[in-house]
Amino acid sequence: MELTDADLIARVLVDDDQHAFSELVRRHQSAVRGVLRQLTRTDVALADDLAQETFLRAYKHVRSFRGEAKFSTWLYRIAYNCFREDARKRKELVGVDEAQLQGELDPQTSDPGLRHDLMHALSLLPLNERSAVTLCCQNGLSHDEAARVLDIPLGTVKTNVLRGREKLKKMLQAWAN
Amino acid sequence: MEPTEDLLDRQLREAIPYIEDDGFTARVVQKLPPAKGRRRSLRSVILIGSSALASGAAYILSDGGRSVVVELSRLAAGSIWWVFGIALASGIAVMAGGLAAAMAKPGQLQP
Repeated sequence: MELTDADLIARVLVDDDQHAFSELVRRHQSAVRGVLRQLTRTDVALADDLAQETFLRAYKHVRSFRGEAKFSTWLYRIAYNCFREDARKRKELVGVDEAQLQGELDPQTSDPGLRHDLMHALSLLPLNERSAVTLCCQNGLSHDEAARVLDIPLGTVKTNVLRGREKLKKMLQAWAN
Repeated sequence: MEPTEDLLDRQLREAIPYIEDDGFTARVVQKLPPAKGRRRSLRSVILIGSSALASGAAYILSDGGRSVVVELSRLAAGSIWWVFGIALASGIAVMAGGLAAAMAKPGQLQP
């Protein structure tokens, strides 16, 4: 029988079992790297560096995980913090020019694949909308969980998801026409 | 839900590909700090060793434990209330220590 995340975390806590931790990394690496790729606008190398930092921090601070939220939610929270710190260091602009977005969303200039267009449009959303849509619509987090990960009020998450979805929907309609 | 929204939700979910590990986990494990298992066993050896040394020193200094026997017989010969008081005080001290340890919460870390 496969061990649950809670079992593996208990082994890390009690025995400092690095094999158990590596199993946790193996289980969650795709989701964490995926979210970070969205946040970094598909900068794969940067996303992987941040994912590595995320798991190293998770190992270092595993004792502070109280099991109140899912382990994956806790990891997303760390990943988002890593991303924010890095973005602050890089002084990245956390928004995008609406005109630029409209230009990018023009089906005439977009790549033909809907999914590719969608991911591209998602990467062009402002950070607050992009992170909310990525967590809630792509990774299946509830608004409440996303609010905890992003450390913002629940209402703000809902607004960001709604706004992000509206922009993406416009793009989808343009593609369908 | 409008068909476009339905399509959007489906496309968003399907747009996330599974990212193959490709050595990622191995790279993370390589960077982990050394396991504390060895350090813990070293700490145990130090603790047991120092306790043994302290016990040996106490045995020698108390003249083979004779002073302990003398003190115990003096205590036994004393008032029953005096013995009761010491036992009660020791019990309360141990209980307070246990309660304090149980109530102590680790600080909330923000990784």
